[in-house]
Amino acid sequence: MDAALRQVEAAPAPPPAFPREVPIQYGAALLVLVLVAAPLLPVLLQSLLDGALYDDEYTLTLANFARLARTSGFGQVLLNTVILAGLTTIVAQGLGTIAAILFGRTDMPFARTLGELFLWPLYLSALVLSFGWYAVYGPSGYLTLLWPSVLGDAPWNLYSLGGMAAIAGVSQAPLAYIYCLSSATLTDPSLEEAARVSGAGTGRTLWRITLPLMMPAIAYSAVLNFTIGLELLSVPLIFGDPAGITVLTTFLFNNGISSPRPDHGLVATAAALMLAVVCFLVWLQNRMLGNTRRFITLGGKATRPRPFRLGMLRWPIFALALLYILAAVIAPIGMLVLRAFTSFLSPMIPLSEVLTVSNFVTIFDYPVYSRAVWNSFVVSLVGGALATALIGLIAVIVHRSEFRFRNALHYLALFPRAVPGVVAGVGFFYAFALLPGLGVLRNSIWILVIAFTMRFIPTGIGAVAPMLLQVSPDLDRAARVQGADWWTTSRRIVLPLMRPALVGCFTVLFISFFKEYSTAIFLFAPGSEVIGTALLQLWVQGEVGLVAALAAIQVAVIAVCVAAVRGLFGVKLHG
Amino acid sequence: MADLVIEGLTKRFGGVTAVEDVNLHVADGEFVTLLGPSGCGKSTTLAAVAGLDRADGGRIQVGGTVYFDAARGIYRPPEARSCGLVFQSYALWPHMTVADNVAFPLSLRKVPAAERRRRIEEVLALVEMERYAGRYPHELSGGQQQRVALARTLVYQPAILLLDEPLSNLDAKLRDRARAWLGELRTRLRLTTIYVTHDQIEALALSDRIVVMNGGRIAQIGAPQDIYERPADPFVADFIGTTNFLPARVVTSAPEGGRALLELADGQRMEVQADRAATAGSRVTLAYRPEQMRIADGATDGGAVLKTRITSRAYVGGLWQVGLDLAGAPLRLETRQPPGGEELHLWLPEAGGILFRGGADVAA
Ligand SMILES: Nc1ncnc2c1ncn2[C@@H]1O[C@H](COP(=O)(O)OP(=O)(O)OP(=O)(O)O)[C@@H](O)[C@H]1O
Ligand SMILES: [Mg+2]
Repeated sequence: MDAALRQVEAAPAPPPAFPREVPIQYGAALLVLVLVAAPLLPVLLQSLLDGALYDDEYTLTLANFARLARTSGFGQVLLNTVILAGLTTIVAQGLGTIAAILFGRTDMPFARTLGELFLWPLYLSALVLSFGWYAVYGPSGYLTLLWPSVLGDAPWNLYSLGGMAAIAGVSQAPLAYIYCLSSATLTDPSLEEAARVSGAGTGRTLWRITLPLMMPAIAYSAVLNFTIGLELLSVPLIFGDPAGITVLTTFLFNNGISSPRPDHGLVATAAALMLAVVCFLVWLQNRMLGNTRRFITLGGKATRPRPFRLGMLRWPIFALALLYILAAVIAPIGMLVLRAFTSFLSPMIPLSEVLTVSNFVTIFDYPVYSRAVWNSFVVSLVGGALATALIGLIAVIVHRSEFRFRNALHYLALFPRAVPGVVAGVGFFYAFALLPGLGVLRNSIWILVIAFTMRFIPTGIGAVAPMLLQVSPDLDRAARVQGADWWTTSRRIVLPLMRPALVGCFTVLFISFFKEYSTAIFLFAPGSEVIGTALLQLWVQGEVGLVAALAAIQVAVIAVCVAAVRGLFGVKLHG
Repeated sequence: MADLVIEGLTKRFGGVTAVEDVNLHVADGEFVTLLGPSGCGKSTTLAAVAGLDRADGGRIQVGGTVYFDAARGIYRPPEARSCGLVFQSYALWPHMTVADNVAFPLSLRKVPAAERRRRIEEVLALVEMERYAGRYPHELSGGQQQRVALARTLVYQPAILLLDEPLSNLDAKLRDRARAWLGELRTRLRLTTIYVTHDQIEALALSDRIVVMNGGRIAQIGAPQDIYERPADPFVADFIGTTNFLPARVVTSAPEGGRALLELADGQRMEVQADRAATAGSRVTLAYRPEQMRIADGATDGGAVLKTRITSRAYVGGLWQVGLDLAGAPLRLETRQPPGGEELHLWLPEAGGILFRGGADVAA
């Protein structure tokens, strides 16, 4: 037996002159570079041209910037944008911080359940939430009609900066909640206990210790929410446009897409401006993240701090929290679903008379709409799978290879965070108009798959990287020493070990692709509609019942996904 | 199997030089241990041989094959070398069974299925793990994991075997057993092996030769007995076995092997056989193992008797450890009977102590 072990194995092959990791790594890096540069270069170039990018004659100029500045009303657009993003941030941070303390740090009844419900707007798109709010609080909304009969004229108006900020704030509050929660529950409980032992009451401890400890998380999520507020398209499109309130995103949409003779120079310049601002904000986030992380992981043991006792206020505060969840989340979504199953919805008409499935029948009868649903599934399933494969490859190259440009690749892969959806939409639109031979793609859903993939690479990396970093490098080094090259090691050792993270990544991407609309509305063509674009088209046509039905389908699919992921894999979809 | 030549190996991490100018020739079938304190560059040396880290300078050659040559720009990636490396963490792949773990290197070499099965069985029998072939790594104890890691490495018959502290994750009892088992396996297989440890007992018990490393450099190479009895410098003396250091000044010179008269800081004098030449007036340090010293009992058969002060006593099970102060130098003595009183007369042998040039600080 020993003799058998001592027979000498054939010497390993000499190192190949051209190891196969070279084409794989360079290929992946090049692909990411093309994906990220494709929408950005045309936008930046077009902003410097006096003619259209696809014309034959043009000259470089800075005139577009001057022209944009002189465009009447553009100052107002910028002001609206900043006010909307600012108000949205205030609403989101206020709600999120209070929720984090109430649901995460007090003995309020049913805190966990309410916390789960509080997160729901995060899973849905702001577009769907907007329709829900319209169904409840819109001019002919259920509650708006119910209100006067009891209390006089309804005091709210969604068609205002304040109304829009309320919707956007509710839809973004979960982000503030998540960040504050991770810092509120994980910071060293002894800090609070020390304050209480020294005689500080609940309120005082909250105000002097807990809240200051949450400050870095609040600040970071505030910048994040402000950035998202700037990029927001759906809410201003639905409620701002009819009221004549234009923000940067709707400015881009109206001048670039809706207009019969789009002014490309102006659109690209506005997009470039937006890109610059968001780049700066993302840079700011990155700088702050270092500090936030320090705070969040501080004393990250599983020791849960003792909850604050609300005492007599326990049930009253619970009632208030419940009221908020009902009014802001459950009622809008519920009313939207209800609307989908009725021909007309009003407090004046008994429900039994209007119940119907005709909205769904219409959707599946008209090829345009059924195709949109079908396309959404294909884009999300196939696109999500392709994107997951690419993201897994990027993660392995960035974190588990000696690839020379792995740091550059990492930076590049995270860069789309700084590219707003509308800018990506405009950019890919130009890119596909410019490059010859891509005409086939242009009218297919694959252009959406490409654009969505680019948009959500950072999201996917965020879902995959933490797990990859937990896999001991000794495991791949062992395989290398035994004779496996980098690619074999990645394929047979690293990627199989990452399977749960890849499943999580796929689900997150599926949901993101399924609800995406802001990039898609610049790119879709007849035949390549998805749910998001169909929703907007139907909305413009005033088909509220069909909008509700489509939105209900989207909500149902996402709910199933979220439940499946939570139940089956225990993967968190956030944080 | 093959011999291993390391010449002038140097590896830097940023500004830190982890390994500097290491030269080592391991003969075919030899078992050599790298021994040294934490951070002295043992793992770095091993990683350079396996090709996991690219060294900054030097040459590595196994058999006739050059693995690395900085001057000629040759670097073979790890998969193109024929090394077997057992990690301190074992690095068993958690998603594969024991059999799959062992099969992996064979499947890379396209060994036919029947032959593969035979060899897996053989190697698992060799490490006495054949009953566990279907288990996953997390269903095994630490000692069993270590055996599987070894089997996974032996199964493809690497030219050289590299072991990075394979026993350090085991508890003391298991460690003793595993060491004995490893020693047995070594005599059976006669593989060219580099074994890394910071445990001197492992090193002494297993090795043909020991390489003591200190701060990235080789302090001494030699057979275990050599290293123990004739350490090249106070560092080696201190690292291998507990050692007592006694600073002194030479009163009368002696050639190598001659007799030198020394004077301690408090004026006491002693005569020793110098294993290195000593010149009058120079400062030297004498090193003694605890077992070489005993309490003077009247008969001073060819040794020196010195007056010391007792600083501490501790019972350590069967023995007493007595702390002594001899002319300002702390000594440790082991004895069956606890000495009484404040003072103690210490007997030191005339030969057997090791004489190093230089003051006491060299041993610190
Ligand atoms: N990747 C790295 N980056 C920077 N410094 C490193 C790296 N790897 C090792 N070092 C440094 O090189 C020196 C030698 O490290 P090495 O791992 O070889 O020590 P060792 O002898 O194996 O120690 P131990 O017994 O603790 O395993 C140490 O000072 C260590 O800090
Ligand atoms: Mg080590």
